[in-house]
Amino acid sequence: MLLAINTRQFWAVFFTKLGFNLRSEVSRTYLGYVWWLLEPILWVTALYVVFGIFLRSRSDDLLVFLVCGMVTYSWFQRSVSNSSRSLAQEKGLINQVAIQKIFFPLLTVSQDTVKQLVVFTAMFLFLLYMGIRPDLSWLTLPLVIMTQWLLILAAGMVCAGIVPLIPDLRFLISTLLQVGMWGSGIFYSYEDVLIQQHQDLFLMNPMANLIKNYRQVIIDGELPDWGALATISLSSAAVIVVMMLVFRRLDTTYARLAIQ
Amino acid sequence: MTVPETLLELEHVGFTYSTGIGFYGGKRVEALRDISFSVRPGETLGLIGRNGCGKSTLLRVITGIFRPDRGRLVRHCDRISLLALNVGFDPNLTGSDNLVISCMFLGASKKEALTMHDEIVEFAELEDYIAQPLKTYSSGMKARLGFSVGLKMQADLLLVDEVLGVGDASFRTKAKHAMKARISSDQAVILVSHNDVAIRSLCDRVIWLENGEVRDQGDTDRVMADYLTYVQTVKGVGRPQNQDQIALKRKV
Repeated sequence: MLLAINTRQFWAVFFTKLGFNLRSEVSRTYLGYVWWLLEPILWVTALYVVFGIFLRSRSDDLLVFLVCGMVTYSWFQRSVSNSSRSLAQEKGLINQVAIQKIFFPLLTVSQDTVKQLVVFTAMFLFLLYMGIRPDLSWLTLPLVIMTQWLLILAAGMVCAGIVPLIPDLRFLISTLLQVGMWGSGIFYSYEDVLIQQHQDLFLMNPMANLIKNYRQVIIDGELPDWGALATISLSSAAVIVVMMLVFRRLDTTYARLAIQ
Repeated sequence: MTVPETLLELEHVGFTYSTGIGFYGGKRVEALRDISFSVRPGETLGLIGRNGCGKSTLLRVITGIFRPDRGRLVRHCDRISLLALNVGFDPNLTGSDNLVISCMFLGASKKEALTMHDEIVEFAELEDYIAQPLKTYSSGMKARLGFSVGLKMQADLLLVDEVLGVGDASFRTKAKHAMKARISSDQAVILVSHNDVAIRSLCDRVIWLENGEVRDQGDTDRVMADYLTYVQTVKGVGRPQNQDQIALKRKV
């Protein structure tokens, strides 16, 4: 182990490990890559059966509406949940190599991002199949996706950094992610359900806001809410910078916590 | 390139950790209290002491995995490699992938790691298993892979933590010979072992740790003799034994 692995070596190891991890994940289950798609499909099916069929809140575009919400929220949920475990899972390596600990949440988020790009591709094929016609506004989608990526990285780094210090928070994080699913308007339209005064509060939840923006662009063919995207991006970037400093400061503390 | 006078200097190094967190608390353990010594280029330093005396913690402080709470630690070299049994392997990756990653953690580029791949696999005698996930490996196979990676990679200072006894009898002999060759080729080594024969035959100098402190250091034969007398008078685990004696006992 090099003492303080230099930046070039850090990224070389990072991308090599990313490739290896993605490959090995496939060999661990019978269906491999198919699970990346199957998971959101199962969720959307369940929600469609409950809300579209049992509760008869069926509108023409409910399926598309659900897909936009669920596919994007499950990216957030999966990445943050995996990140919160990322340091604890790598105790062996942390005890063996003097590597910057930011390596682990970064790797987890990147791994999930690659998978999500596959899921997004499948989602757009499905939308086309469902008769949604691409609009010029879709060109702004990469910016919405980038904003969500920054949000995920920020949330993932916070969770990864805090769980080794207070392991109990792991339970709180998984509960919050579940609650967040109900509170992000995945299977309801906030404009129909909430009174005006509560709508602003609802949109303070960054995931609810992003899902609204995804739907605005994909279903309605409108431009996203630039102010909201900028606010989410900048606050996420600020959190990321703070967490980089925290990780640098606590680097050897995490190694010590791994043996406690 | 000028050769530095010392590769590593430790002055009054101390390290404390707690055995638990939360309201139920943990016990604070002073793993290292007051450690001072230095390592010169090319020398082989033995590190002895009973189980729990702080040997492995000290190696982790030297590699920079832990930061000492007290004292001063100065490294005059870049590549310090830790060769230990529980190497940081990923159980889901194949032996090959783990080999490449380990080499890269030791400073190799991916290309260099791939170039050395076959040689390392051959030394580890894992040709038939290298494409399998590491979780299917026996502990001996994992140890052989870790040992071979550490042995083939260049390092300014090599830290060896109880790995001389890895593998079966034939691999052990090969590993010992390879380690001897490496040690005699001007490699600076810190060797942790409970095998007194190995310590006597390989080390120029010995440091005896007891309870997180340096109890004695100096000439191998003198310190070893004192240490052996000491462990026979106190009860406790971790008495130094020859690996072959341990193996014999297991069989019985």
